[in-house]
Amino acid sequence: MIFLHKLLNFYYREYKLNLSGFQDILTNITFFFISIFIFIFSIGPEKETYSFLGVGILWTLLLLSSTLSLRKFYQDDFENGNLTLLHLNGFSFELIAILKTFSHFIFVQIPFLLSIPLASILLNVGNEKLYRLTISFLLGALILSSLGSISSSMNLLNKRNYLLGSVIVMIFSIPIIIFSVGIININENFNSLVGILSGILLITFAVNPWASGACLKIAIQNN
Amino acid sequence: MLLAQNLTLCRLERIIFENISISLSSGKIIILKGKNGSGKTTFLKTILNLLEPTSGTIYWKGKLLSRNLYDYYNNLTYIADKTSSIKQLSVYENIKIWKKIFSSHMNYEKIEEILSILNLKVFLGARVSTLSLGEIKKLELLRLMIENKKIWILDEPFTNLDMETINLIGQTFEDHCKNEGCVIFSSHQDPLIPVSDEVNL
Amino acid sequence: MRFLINSKRFNVFADIIFKPVLVLSIVLLIVGLIFAFFLSPDDYQQGSTVRIMYVHVPSAWLSLMTYLIMTVYSIIALAFRMPFGFIVNTAVAPIGAIFTLVCIISGSLWGKPMWGTWWVWDARLTSVAVLFIIYLIIIFINISFENVRVREKIAAIFILVGSINLPIIKFSVDWWNTLHQPATISKLSKPSIDPSMMTPLIIMTIAFIFIGITIAILRIKTEIITRENI
Repeated sequence: MIFLHKLLNFYYREYKLNLSGFQDILTNITFFFISIFIFIFSIGPEKETYSFLGVGILWTLLLLSSTLSLRKFYQDDFENGNLTLLHLNGFSFELIAILKTFSHFIFVQIPFLLSIPLASILLNVGNEKLYRLTISFLLGALILSSLGSISSSMNLLNKRNYLLGSVIVMIFSIPIIIFSVGIININENFNSLVGILSGILLITFAVNPWASGACLKIAIQNN
Repeated sequence: MLLAQNLTLCRLERIIFENISISLSSGKIIILKGKNGSGKTTFLKTILNLLEPTSGTIYWKGKLLSRNLYDYYNNLTYIADKTSSIKQLSVYENIKIWKKIFSSHMNYEKIEEILSILNLKVFLGARVSTLSLGEIKKLELLRLMIENKKIWILDEPFTNLDMETINLIGQTFEDHCKNEGCVIFSSHQDPLIPVSDEVNL
Repeated sequence: MRFLINSKRFNVFADIIFKPVLVLSIVLLIVGLIFAFFLSPDDYQQGSTVRIMYVHVPSAWLSLMTYLIMTVYSIIALAFRMPFGFIVNTAVAPIGAIFTLVCIISGSLWGKPMWGTWWVWDARLTSVAVLFIIYLIIIFINISFENVRVREKIAAIFILVGSINLPIIKFSVDWWNTLHQPATISKLSKPSIDPSMMTPLIIMTIAFIFIGITIAILRIKTEIITRENI
């Protein structure tokens, strides 16, 4: 019971933090839509092209724009000492990593999920594909959040090279892009692909706590 | 309660501090004195088990600290030199978050009372970023009361504060000691409040 | 075998073996090149361009082997707290990157006469390109943090996470490749090798290993000296 109480209090804090920084999330989504416009302006308005390319473009842009906000993942809490406080209050680094991952999923990725239907209208993605897109994004976004946790905890003490975090996420997200777009475009083995993506999700979940936890510990020790 | 023996910490083959022993029992106020860069913050972090000492051992209630960490963390409040209040939220929201995170049972009347002693009550609805540095520091020190733990570990608690507030804090420390609590804090200047022990780094 | 995990013993051992290794790598390289250019037959399909293989394949093997070594040393360094592992990781990462780059460049030089373009999105080429980017990120981590004690640990954690992820990436790229391309090209990348071609290939591989060891010894010794002077 105490543990559950602790979790709820942690998420109350996250909710307050994200509510006050809501303009960041809105800017993120605006970036997503603007990049869709730019894609359309650069390729041309023919709808047939997008029925073929649409899903790929959508997933690429989702990946790009959700890695934009990674800098904020731990940085604020780290710089004002709140990570140390949480740790001293009984949250182990691994637990912080898990909780923060889900918080990123809820407060950053879910708004993207909600904006997918609108984006799919713009890119001429059909209804049947939209359903698959939603499922693949639900799974993929959880993996992306875990990878984001790993990369941003690695870069807490990196004061010079801000883009490194995004690069780390993007190189590891190659399988996600491949299988997520595969889920949508390939009709016959839908279930097995969902299975593969869930398998990757479980592996990332297993790796995330200890990798992020170790990096957070290193960052706090050497700050 | 807290016993640290012959703590030594080296970093990159440089000795930060050497052979420091402290013993913190209830009713004691220990000041950690030293020049800038003499390793006060590092020492406090070692006491908090955030850093591993190169040699030396720390005991908590007679057991090794690493074996008894959960109980130890349940009994201490740490005020860092950085202020942990969230700048874009109001004072009230910060207090509410702290109350929840530290599962404090202190009621709001008591908190408001303390706030009015600290001259902070008018800012209750204001954002923390509009407060002055001294006021933010006072708000940070309010956490001592909200958390209501036995050991207080403070890193440079007197920066940006006026004489009046410092005396008030000294009073609070003494009251805390009478309630079987104990305090350890660092300062680069002379202790402006009565202390029971002094450690030089 | 303590010289593999202790920097003092490594220094002593390296001083003894450096000259023999250097001589051996030069001799093997010359012998291998003679075999590759004059004593091995042309391919009946590819003609003389098949000789690129004698550079391409050893560098591909070594790029993977270097990553394996880095993974092992990351585990040693993180789990058993032996700082020599971090030294090896820092020293070896650029060598692996160079081997991967050699593999990519020779592959694309080989591909131009065979496939007609410099670059084909073949599964193997793509995976190697990803490996190259991962090496680059390790090097970036090593140069963009200010604190040595931080960056070596972060790099080691990254290497371990990467070693878990690399098989997944490889698998997914393979799957993606079968999805989008007919299987004609994969026949080219899995040739059955004639024994007369096998001899120069093995000699070249051993030569590459010894070249790698030579450079690694130099770089590790430099790294040890740099760290003593921080």
